[in-house]
Order: sequence, then structure tokens, then C-alpha cells
Amino acid sequence: MTELLIAQIVVAILLALIFLIRPAVTASTVGKMLAFVALAIFPSLCLIGGWNLHMQRSQQTRFCISCHAMVPYGQSLYIDDPNYLPAVHFQNHLVPADEACYACHADYTAFGTLKDKLRGLTRVYMQYISTPPQQIRIPGGYQNNQCLHCHGGARRFEENAIHAAILDDLVSGRMSCLASGCHDSVHNVSQIQRLKLWKPGR
Amino acid sequence: MKTRIERALQIASSLIIVGLGIELGTLLWFHPLALVFFVLLGGTAVVLGMVIYLVSLVFVVGSGKS
Repeated sequence: MTELLIAQIVVAILLALIFLIRPAVTASTVGKMLAFVALAIFPSLCLIGGWNLHMQRSQQTRFCISCHAMVPYGQSLYIDDPNYLPAVHFQNHLVPADEACYACHADYTAFGTLKDKLRGLTRVYMQYISTPPQQIRIPGGYQNNQCLHCHGGARRFEENAIHAAILDDLVSGRMSCLASGCHDSVHNVSQIQRLKLWKPGR
Repeated sequence: MKTRIERALQIASSLIIVGLGIELGTLLWFHPLALVFFVLLGGTAVVLGMVIYLVSLVFVVGSGKS
């Protein structure tokens, strides 16, 4: 899709060049129509296509971990311990490996994607203008619906005795899935240098 | 001697070419800042060019001075 969009942009640039070099072309009716296509239609299509492509890219794992502050979080996906939630999901492809961050950190509400993007812009600001905090925290904490988006209604999840006993609390958010004693091993970036990492392909 | 509509077309097409060039660059760069540059620089230039073109259709051509 990227190649197609690049070709589209190149064509749009060439069309616009016509009116930069020979604007008198618009004297004819055909020239006027071509001008509308070259200076209104094609640029609009290029902007829409470019926006879609950038939005798709922003969901990819390598996009998230391309910022220096996120490198340890990317490393935590390879922790060789099934108790670590992100690692077990990533390594076993329980979430798409190339969209691992987005799968668990997208806000699955009506305007969730928009909120995620706006929040992402504040992260870009922190990275390049301000300073990232020593400890990165999710505003409002990690929400259960980000787990329940996949696990909710799943047989193995609901038939688990512990989950069945506290299901209402989990769904309402009164109790966090990441509560101490439950799934509390997450990224653990402060200890990442001491943890054994899985090397794929071996 | 260029007419007003021709000058407007040249300005509009220049902005659109610059904006699309920036967009092309951001597509070749896989980085969070690429999106920021796409929106703030490329998108602004292209939209400004389109607006200048459309406004010229209304005010320059409409005034009968071509």
C-alpha cells in the first residue's frame, strides 16, 4: 500500500508541476478541469491516504519502541518467564506480534482510538521537547476492559474458579486484573537487565 | 505578464508540491515524528495550497479580472 501511495503522490506532484510551469493551461475548459483534479482532488486523496497509512503505522510494535524511553518495554516482551503478562501474550502470539503494544494499550471505548492518538502526541512532546518521567504511568491506571476485550466471554477465562468468583468486580473495575497476587508481573523494566530473555529462532 | 489567476495558481501549486514532497518524505521515514511532520508541515502546506486555489476560483475569476 505504501508503494501505491508513493506513486499517487508522485503523480500528484507531476500534475501540480504543470500549473506551476504553465498556469496559462487553465485558459481552456479542459485545463480548468485538470487544474481542479490536480490542485484539489489528487492532493485530498494523497492526504487521506497518507493519514490512513500513518495511523496504521502508529499501531505497530516497532513504532512504539522506536522511542528511546520505550526500548526497555520492548525488551520486556522477550522475558523468558510465563508469569509476565506482556511476554506470554507476545511470545505465544496471543496478540498480533506486530501490534502487541496496541492490542493491550488501545482504549476500547467509543473515542478510544482518538484519545490514544492524542495521548501519544503528549508522549512525543515528552520525548523530544520535555523529558520523559522516570517512571512511566498510564493516566487512570490500566483498565480491565483492555483485558476483557479479548478475555471477556471466553470459556477458559470464565470457567476459571477465581475469575468466576470475582467476575462482577472485574467487569465493573472494582478490582484490577493486575492486582497484587493476580497478574501483577507486567513489564518490570526496572529489573529488565537481570531477567533472562527469550531469543526467538533457537 | 502573468494574470492574477495565474499567479494564484502558481502559488497554490507550489504549496501543494512542497506539502506533497514533505508527505513523501514522511512516508519513507518510520518514526513517530513522521506523523507530526506530516500533519503540521505537509498537511498545512497542501491544505493552504488547496484553499488558495479554491479562493482564487471565487474571488479572482469571479471579479472578472482574468
